[in-house]
Amino acid sequence: MSKANRTGVAIVRLVFMSALAAVVLLPVFWMVMSSLRTHEEIFKYTRLGWHMFFPAHWTLENYIEIFADASKPFGRYMLNTLLVAASVTALGLIVNSLAAFAFAKLRFPFKRALLALFLSSLVIPYEAIMIPQYLLVRELGWINSFKALIVPQIVWVFGIFLLVQFFAEVPRAILEAARMDGAGWIRIYASIMLPSAVPALITLGVITFLNQWDAFLWPLVVINEEKKQVIQVAIASFSSLRGISWGKIMAAASVSTLPIVAVFLFLQRYYVQGIIMSGVKG
Amino acid sequence: MGITRPRTYDRLETRAALLFLAPAFLLLVLFVFFPMFRALWISFQYYNLINNASAEWIGLDNYRNLLQDESFRASLFHSFYFAAVVIPVQTAIALGLALLVRGKFKGVGFFRTVYFLPVVVSFAVASTVFRLIYNKDYGMLNAILKGFGLPPVDFLSSPKIAMIGIIILCIWKAMGFFMVVFLAGLNNIPQELYEAAEVDGAGRVHRFFRITLPLLKRTMAFVVIITTMDALKIFVPVFVTTSGGPAGATSTVVFYVYETAFKQMNLGYASAAAFLFFCIVLVISIIQLRMFRSDVEY
Repeated sequence: MSKANRTGVAIVRLVFMSALAAVVLLPVFWMVMSSLRTHEEIFKYTRLGWHMFFPAHWTLENYIEIFADASKPFGRYMLNTLLVAASVTALGLIVNSLAAFAFAKLRFPFKRALLALFLSSLVIPYEAIMIPQYLLVRELGWINSFKALIVPQIVWVFGIFLLVQFFAEVPRAILEAARMDGAGWIRIYASIMLPSAVPALITLGVITFLNQWDAFLWPLVVINEEKKQVIQVAIASFSSLRGISWGKIMAAASVSTLPIVAVFLFLQRYYVQGIIMSGVKG
Repeated sequence: MGITRPRTYDRLETRAALLFLAPAFLLLVLFVFFPMFRALWISFQYYNLINNASAEWIGLDNYRNLLQDESFRASLFHSFYFAAVVIPVQTAIALGLALLVRGKFKGVGFFRTVYFLPVVVSFAVASTVFRLIYNKDYGMLNAILKGFGLPPVDFLSSPKIAMIGIIILCIWKAMGFFMVVFLAGLNNIPQELYEAAEVDGAGRVHRFFRITLPLLKRTMAFVVIITTMDALKIFVPVFVTTSGGPAGATSTVVFYVYETAFKQMNLGYASAAAFLFFCIVLVISIIQLRMFRSDVEY
């Protein structure tokens, strides 16, 4: 290919990719812009033009209102979700990394059988066990309690096997040496295994946190009390209310999305790494 | 993992291992395996929480009734229709995106991030935003259609096209995820193969079909299987945008199970539906694995 031809291709590609990027970003852009409009404006500018995409009067009114409304305590929903997501992430990292350590490095009877048992749970879709899980939580008296949102979500077999891949790379000789020096297995786990798998732990942490932040069906089933609700369900129920302003809904959607986008931009590398590992090894 | 199997185990090591596995094991038994058996158990019962939590053994009646149930069959059909459209279209788009951002050129990182961004937006938020975008009177999409002189379309209120509205929303949200998976697969293909092909005078199209696609088979298998499972289980967009309407036209299986279990409190019947669905999904996954495995060398 000639040089001029190559540049031509590059320019066409760049234009195409930019147009595509605009289309992909449009819904998010539209969400943020609608949240900055007054109530009347959303219904006013329905023709293609400048004000279709940008507010005529910029306002933060919607944001102030969603946080001030005591009947729909939006700040509360965010805190609830943060608490649940952070708890599941922290407890999940501990429980899953302990199991991963045992599977990756320790020798014990029935290891293969246990491994197979753990793996077999990956076939069971959550939707198939949602009903008995609900009954169980009900019998435990956990309905409308954060325990119902946290405890069943802690163990994540996919996460265990993500960590197993990392732990497997630590040479057994290092562990034996530590044993010789008199270190117990818990010490070895905490001071050798965990530090060696920090990137994997961050990856797993980010994925868990984002999954929990997005949780919808399970909270919808086990939380009926307004004050205990999580953010995603709150937004969805916001939008099914009659006569609620779309500006407020979009403000709620923006507030719940932008922190996550920020976290993602910072930790993108780890998140993407997790997808790649699951894809390549899966 | 244990390739050589020692004859004797260190007692302390065994104790440590079982201790480390215990929390995960107990949680798994309590919240996954036990519910799985209970789901099967309940599915043979008439179990309704409204009628004083009465449970009555009725054998296969739930399954028999389900097979006659028009709305269950319709929901199965909708789930499969959704999957049949989403799997090829989304996979093609994701692969296309991956090929676009595969090279190393200025700004490629920016485009990768932008195309991936919708993955981070939650399903509830995405569905809510698309509901506004699709709105007939003041949504952005119709404003754009009008701008091009096209008639307005009521995306979510017409039984014929409501599902298409949901499909577009789902593809928008998921394509970036699979783009990254394809990108990883593409990076595993040795560059020399392309160079050799170019020397032999193979064109772009030829290289794509003779090198890229065959070597992506493993990645493709992963993408197709995961997309199938996700697509068949679709729930949140249906719940938020249409609530299964109009006239049940977008009611999927998981939506049907949810409504039956938690609106009508008919847990036995819903469990049977969920279990039947689980078996169908499992069979499909196994068939897909076989299909992709048959002529792939590992």
